[in-house]
Amino acid sequence: MTFRSLALSGIKGNWRAYNAFFLSSVFSVFVFYVYGSFIYHPDVINGHIKAAAGVRKGMEACQYIVVIFSFFFVLYANSAFLKTRKKEFGLFTLFGMTRGQLKRMIIMESAVIAVLAIAVGIGVGILFSKLFFMALALLLNVDNPIRFIVPLKAVLITSIGYFTLFLFLSALTSIRVGRSEIVDLLKEASKPKKIPASSPWLSLLAVISLASGYALAWNMNMYNFLIFALPILGLVTLGSYFLFTQSSIGLLRLVQKNKPFYFKRTHLITFSQMAFKVKDNARILFMVSLLSAIVLTASGTFYVFQQSGKAQLTSHFPQTIGFYEKGLDQHEVIDPAKVRSIIEADNRKLAYELRTVGIPAELTEPAPEGGGAGSQVNLQAVIISASDYNRAASEKGYDSLSVNEGSAAMIYPYEEMRNNPVFKGEAIKAKVGGQWASYRLDESRFGAVMSPEGPFTYLLVVGDKRFAEVQRAVPKSSQHVMYGFEIADWETALPTVKKIEKEISLSGEAENQANTFRVEQYVNLQQTSALTLFIGLFVSLLFFIASGSMLYFKLFTEMKDDEAQFRSLTRIGMTAGEIRRIVASQVGMIFYVPLGLGILHTFFAMKSLSNLLNASTWVYASVVVGIYIVMQTIYFIVAYTAYMKRMLKAAV
Amino acid sequence: MNVLKTEALCKTYSSKGNVTYKALEDIHLEVEAGEFVGIMGPSGSGKTTLLNLLATIDKPTSGRIEINGTEPSRLKEKQLALFRRRQLGFVFQDFNLLDTLSIKENIVLPLVLEGVPVKRIEESLLPYAELLGITPILDKRTYEVSGGQKQRAAIARAIIHKPSILLADELTGNLDSKAAKDVMESLKKLNETMGATIAMVTHDPFAASYCKRIVFIKDGRFFSEIRRGTNRQLFFQQILDALSVLGGNFDDIPFSRA
Repeated sequence: MTFRSLALSGIKGNWRAYNAFFLSSVFSVFVFYVYGSFIYHPDVINGHIKAAAGVRKGMEACQYIVVIFSFFFVLYANSAFLKTRKKEFGLFTLFGMTRGQLKRMIIMESAVIAVLAIAVGIGVGILFSKLFFMALALLLNVDNPIRFIVPLKAVLITSIGYFTLFLFLSALTSIRVGRSEIVDLLKEASKPKKIPASSPWLSLLAVISLASGYALAWNMNMYNFLIFALPILGLVTLGSYFLFTQSSIGLLRLVQKNKPFYFKRTHLITFSQMAFKVKDNARILFMVSLLSAIVLTASGTFYVFQQSGKAQLTSHFPQTIGFYEKGLDQHEVIDPAKVRSIIEADNRKLAYELRTVGIPAELTEPAPEGGGAGSQVNLQAVIISASDYNRAASEKGYDSLSVNEGSAAMIYPYEEMRNNPVFKGEAIKAKVGGQWASYRLDESRFGAVMSPEGPFTYLLVVGDKRFAEVQRAVPKSSQHVMYGFEIADWETALPTVKKIEKEISLSGEAENQANTFRVEQYVNLQQTSALTLFIGLFVSLLFFIASGSMLYFKLFTEMKDDEAQFRSLTRIGMTAGEIRRIVASQVGMIFYVPLGLGILHTFFAMKSLSNLLNASTWVYASVVVGIYIVMQTIYFIVAYTAYMKRMLKAAV
Repeated sequence: MNVLKTEALCKTYSSKGNVTYKALEDIHLEVEAGEFVGIMGPSGSGKTTLLNLLATIDKPTSGRIEINGTEPSRLKEKQLALFRRRQLGFVFQDFNLLDTLSIKENIVLPLVLEGVPVKRIEESLLPYAELLGITPILDKRTYEVSGGQKQRAAIARAIIHKPSILLADELTGNLDSKAAKDVMESLKKLNETMGATIAMVTHDPFAASYCKRIVFIKDGRFFSEIRRGTNRQLFFQQILDALSVLGGNFDDIPFSRA
């Protein structure tokens, strides 16, 4: 047996502990390489691929995240290995292995693992890079597929970078082993487990800081965002840390005090062991809960932006095509018949069509009583009839409106204005053709039903009878008409819209009287978000896999103790079913408690986000959380089955 | 009344190369209620195999075992576990107490698993704790007490649910002579005052001298049997004599104990 083969057998012997770590390392190398292969792709560097520059920036940022993350992950994994193998190292030292040899062995082991992980990671990366390029080409709308190439620079940077990272960290580890005494090394594994204690003050601190962090998040808005953001982050992190290290143990001790519950069949073992497991794993659980929160919040935020982006588009651009003409029978911008014929020629259908007559008016508030010269706003708007409004509103799925005699309703174009409408009083004055008229302001609504262009941005809705009177007072040439065309399945109607745009007269002001941008903006939004999602997906997947593998890994490093425990429990007559129940609740706790806290963090983060965006995010957040729960459950089932198999085997 | 009865018990291990090894052959053993039986033999004589068979964690190749009228080999896995839980009590060489539980929690574990109400658990605990002299350490953790105390706690755990028979495997193996003496005294008291039936495998003549009867086995077969009179010292001498007849490897036993 040579020295080298000793190191190799060390890896073989500890493979079960190593495999989760190895797979996570392979995955991070893989992700790093795949990003690199695009960043250093000659076609990207030469600028042959349009829009690649932005993508490249995003990928570089992701690479930084991956490296920083790998650093901490490998650091953590190394120290965890060290702990489980201290006894082995102690024995080697006892049999006369010098410190230098021990260090060499540790470094050699990590070098082997590193080389393997890098080789497999890059190999898999090369295999999948064509697929990656194809997906990117699709998302970037590139005509020619991106060539399959293995950029030497990417391979070099990945392999040298990761090799240095692994070696540097294992050198750190070996220094720590070198410093410890043989006796301590040998004793490490059999050190008695101290009964977990918790400080009531720190437990309380955990609850208080979490609660105040959550309270701040709940009340976050556009104005206090900058002041609140950092304290929330700090409080929540602090709170989660003490929640796992202190409060959880305090809580378990309370459970243990409840005798009838605690002394009920398997509860005794489940809960007493849980206290120890939570204590041993507190830091890991804390980190996993934060990682889960980061992944969930990031993907949730992203998903919210994407989804609310679409909702915002349909609300800010109420119809696919909208334009207004100055003059009742004018067709300066485009003839509606023309629009219809283009749509028909493209074999597309109209979902609905609107034609609304609007009388331009200047709106203001009556001077405050007592004559104070308030700063009054003058707003250019149009007056429309209630039945016209209701027709448009019903197409948009809004409630219909009823306006009484002498009253009016004010329609603001954007939901975001709800907090600060222009007119807050109970009355409104409108000047049409030099004549002022006063209306009681019955209702204000937020959300456009027709393209908010020019004076049609703000609508004053009056009863049909009143509207007829107003309309009579104004010559036809001064009346405006808003046309709206909603194309069925507008999401795919870009070519049709482009054809219509070409027909729109560009002379004078006419250009500003039309709004045809919804589809194009939507297509852009889709592309950007698909790209971001695609690039970010790998990072979040990496986080997810890594956090799961930390748990998996922790589970299997403690397996020897657990095996002995279940062996003696079987002897005193514990059934396989009972062992299964205990293991399921313990493994389940390790997998789902941090996830639960992560989800809680996420929901509060989503609440802040919904405050900022002025829109509800619950549905979107739930979708993301749901997916994450499903993935975590798969992970749990895999870990539980593997673990249970070992336990039952050991038990007999 | 027989609590334990084995008839023509055989256990054969076969390894890959068609090499078979007879660990036990034709063992007939009867243990009556209230007996305190020791099973002795040199290393490799099949003591542990026999105890594993009695403990129902291993199955005989042929022959039968009957414990309190039940044949464990006919039970299904779950029933077997429940049978162990209700009819058998175990004491191991390395205590096998759970670190995560206090001494008291360790002792009452069999009752807790059975779903006995808390009040009754507390009631059953006290007499045994008193008898075994571990009342003061009930609330301590396993690492806070000595080996002898741990083993007495393990005995309490093995007996608290009133099993038909208590099986002990080298229970003094990890103890110093003083602790071993305490533990054996406790076991004797348990047998005499509470009428517990005990079968103990050991290779320590000192521990064995507390038994009422000792069965010697050698190379997997029954060898001889001796019964104790009134004097333990004398019995100890008898055991040593029997062992010297038996031969085999007893080198690892400290003879200085008695």
